Amino acid sequence: MTAAGIGRPAPELVPDGGTRPPGPGRALTGLRLVRLYLASRRVLACLLVLAACAVALRTALHWLPRTGTFSRQIPLIIEAGAAAAIGVTTRSPFGEPERATGVRLPVLRLGVSLALAGAALGALAAAASAHLAGGTVGLLRDLGGLTGVTLLAAAALGGALAWVGPIGYLAVTLPAVAGHWTSPWAWPARPPHDRGAAICAALVFAAGLAAVTLRGARDAPARE
Amino acid sequence: MNVEIAGLTRRFGRTQAVAGVDLEAGPGVFGLLGPNGAGKTTLLRMLATVIPPSSGRLRLLGRDPGGYGGRRQIRRRLGYLPQNLGYYPGFTVAEFVEYFALLKEMPPGRVPGAVAAAVERVDLGDKARAKLRTLSGGMLRRVGIAQAIVNEPDLLLLDEPTAGLDPEQRVAFRALLRDLGQRATVIVSTHLVEDVGAACSQVALMDVGRIVFHGTPDELTGRAEGTDAAGDAPLERGYSAVLAAARATAGARS
Amino acid sequence: MTAATAPARPAPPRARRLPPAAGPARLLGIELRRSPMLWLLPVLAVLFYVSTYRPAMGNPPFWNIRGGMIQSHTMLVFAPLLAGAGAWVGSRDGRRGLADLVGMTAVPRWAGQVATWAAATIWAELLYLAGVGVLYAVTARQGAWGGPLWWPAAVGAATVAASCAVGFAAGARLPGRFTAGLAALVVFLALAGGAFAIQDNATYAQIWPLNVQGPFPPDSYGIFYPYLPDLAIAQVMFLAGLAAAALGVLGLPAGAGSRWLRAAAAAVTVAGLAAAGTAIGLAGTARVEPHGIVIPALHDAASDRPVPYTPVCSRGAVPVCLQPAYRAYLPDVTAALGPLLRQLAGLPGAPARVTQVVVTTVTSARENGIGFGGPVISGHPPVLYLPLSGLTLPGEGNTPAASFTANLRGQYGTAIVNDLVGLPSGSPAGTGVTGVNFELGPRHAAQFAIANALDQVLRLTGPWSVRPGARPPSRSLPAGTGANGAAASGSGTLAGSGAGAGSGAGAGSGAGAGGGAAPSAAQQQAAVDRFAALSAAARHAWLLTHLAALRAGRIALSEIP
Repeated sequence: MTAAGIGRPAPELVPDGGTRPPGPGRALTGLRLVRLYLASRRVLACLLVLAACAVALRTALHWLPRTGTFSRQIPLIIEAGAAAAIGVTTRSPFGEPERATGVRLPVLRLGVSLALAGAALGALAAAASAHLAGGTVGLLRDLGGLTGVTLLAAAALGGALAWVGPIGYLAVTLPAVAGHWTSPWAWPARPPHDRGAAICAALVFAAGLAAVTLRGARDAPARE
Repeated sequence: MNVEIAGLTRRFGRTQAVAGVDLEAGPGVFGLLGPNGAGKTTLLRMLATVIPPSSGRLRLLGRDPGGYGGRRQIRRRLGYLPQNLGYYPGFTVAEFVEYFALLKEMPPGRVPGAVAAAVERVDLGDKARAKLRTLSGGMLRRVGIAQAIVNEPDLLLLDEPTAGLDPEQRVAFRALLRDLGQRATVIVSTHLVEDVGAACSQVALMDVGRIVFHGTPDELTGRAEGTDAAGDAPLERGYSAVLAAARATAGARS
Repeated sequence: MTAATAPARPAPPRARRLPPAAGPARLLGIELRRSPMLWLLPVLAVLFYVSTYRPAMGNPPFWNIRGGMIQSHTMLVFAPLLAGAGAWVGSRDGRRGLADLVGMTAVPRWAGQVATWAAATIWAELLYLAGVGVLYAVTARQGAWGGPLWWPAAVGAATVAASCAVGFAAGARLPGRFTAGLAALVVFLALAGGAFAIQDNATYAQIWPLNVQGPFPPDSYGIFYPYLPDLAIAQVMFLAGLAAAALGVLGLPAGAGSRWLRAAAAAVTVAGLAAAGTAIGLAGTARVEPHGIVIPALHDAASDRPVPYTPVCSRGAVPVCLQPAYRAYLPDVTAALGPLLRQLAGLPGAPARVTQVVVTTVTSARENGIGFGGPVISGHPPVLYLPLSGLTLPGEGNTPAASFTANLRGQYGTAIVNDLVGLPSGSPAGTGVTGVNFELGPRHAAQFAIANALDQVLRLTGPWSVRPGARPPSRSLPAGTGANGAAASGSGTLAGSGAGAGSGAGAGSGAGAGGGAAPSAAQQQAAVDRFAALSAAARHAWLLTHLAALRAGRIALSEIP
């Protein structure tokens, strides 16, 4: 560090009052921001985990019967794993300095969460939806709901502990699948086209998405 | 001598972090200065037996840390405060210090008293039961110092110990160092030359993995005479002068 | 610290002499007080209630049912969460940036890690055992017969320790952000996959921690027979080996401790793997017996002896006797079968007594699924051996008593009638013969009509369908069983008459009456109606004189009064 830069006047503002570069420069800056955000959240590792979940699902469905309780429970466990991977990426390594920024952060959170949820759906559907007991509709509902549970857990417990949400939910609903519960909040136990279950899953997904977008994953407490 | 180093090196891949250090230190406070990337932290980590040297000879407290038995004996009499101190947020101050006292195999009967004494010495007696997550950065640093001194070490290694401390606390900390240095070898790595000037009887200056100066603070100050080295204080000017000379010599060689 | 107060070293207080173990005990004490597992305990408690306690209360108070739920239901929920929590705890030093600092202390790193794992596991075990205690206490209060089964609880406890250890090792070795979630997921998949393999009757899969005693009904173990600990012993060995191997692996790296300590860690790892492998091998030798899973190397022949008991019996012309554990159901069973038994009392081959057994017949232990036989009449005087397995008991899943008696009447009542009149009744218990489309020959027409009439009068079940002119089925009956559910000696025939062998060929010698053209449905129904219209005494009297001929197929439809 040297003292050479001190005392110089501030950089001149561009005529429109902002300091942003025009045109392609802005797009490049935006892409760079997205890239850095994705790197900070280990999104690439998450995508690898999602791919592994897809392979696991494909392998499991090869061995599982087409009907029966296992044909629904085991894919559900894998979907919960995919949802847990999405939740873990909400953890911020920066803490407060990142929160004390502008509106770009919530947009990034929302975009990445949606993109990862879509990637998970795409990967799992590509691997197995033709063989899943509930088909793509069931997969969309179950995965969406589980992702919502995960995001809510991330907002409450922190990104690193977000996995507790889907695993805990699964622990309650696996018996529900076997026992044919009727509550729409146990949406994996309901038929794939059950409207009530779809609404509940969608609500949970929306709530989780909103929580993570607006608040982000819970950080460790700050100090002076 | 508590510390005997000859030709010590440490390499990380292609990077030579410590490029041949010779040093001997007995009881007293020994300052370690140098710019960023000089190898101070790496040297300290080797002295703390966290990482082994790549080559060279190292004896601590009269023992060779290369063997497990010797290393264990050294660690019982060693205190170390790293530059970046992690902590368990749910622990209290006393628990954190006690945890490390037990890990250092202090006799169990002595632990409670030693923990209380260490916490008092860093002036956190009224915070002994506070959870670490509630403490400020400076307080956490003091907790780190407390865990380093709880076992009354014969060799105390402190990396940037005064980071986060306010001026009053720094003054008191220097007094603590002088007190500890009466019996033990205290090696302090720091950027703050005034800490060195106030507390250290010996100082070494490192640059690019080598020691380029070893002497007293007054001798370091004297190096600035006749030069136009930069600095706001005599010790700073001596520091700058030594670095400039070392780099000029290195440049001439290359 | 203030400038005014010189930080002089305070005089150290007098040290107490404490035993060498005090240091590790204090370390463990700190870990216990501050273990992150404490935060998970409320979640686990809720899950125990939802997954085990509440469903258990929806089932009758039998020790074997509740013990089995502790092992299977609880562990399916606990093990993944504990693996994830273990990974979280194991990654603590890496996440908190304390790896260097704790790594350069005098206590071997392995020892410190074991203390951290132990603290987390102790809390998990305490919660689990508290749940077991509550469930068993409530079960005892509900008056369950016999005593608590401790082996399922032991397997559960071993599963808790193993889950924590496996997760802890994963977290300690790979302190990344995905490790805890992946550990939970992998354990979940492993448990579900193992349960699937068990269902598929893969032999080695018997070792899986959720497997209680194989596919047999719960009352085959712990009630009529002692609970066989063979499989549980192998499971505990497997889980303990897994835990030892997981923890031993942590002691292998260079910084974990001295050479000797690392050698000990290697020995622990190898021993753990050997134990787990041996347990799997033992499971591979398992035999599925009616009273549980037998592993020859671990089996104690004394546990093959039935549990002695004094049956509880109803009063009446045909007493119904049940195992004392089923005392509460005696009125329902008596109500279900009483009218039928009174109608049949005194007839040749009719049971003089009803005795509960655990199973009567078993079909295909190695194929896809196992079937259990229905009631069997054998002996002199004839005794109806009655298994209640396969029926949903009152209180099980909120089943009302009326459903139980209706089921009992419908499934077993028809089987009893079939057997008495000489019709095939070899269907497994629980499926009955209701609505079966029998392909009958003329020889069976009268048998069928009498059975249908009795069904109608006694309101056993729904209507039968008959296709006139069809051939009789050519099936043979499975082997019957004797008292107490033990495999019967015997010819594999029913009812002591020899005529109830059930196949068309066995139902009588010769062509019998009714040979020739099959009766029409109208004729069949007319015969049913005629016989049903008789008084109970008249029916009884007719059967008394004609039953033997009816079984032999020598009665024509027109001869039915």
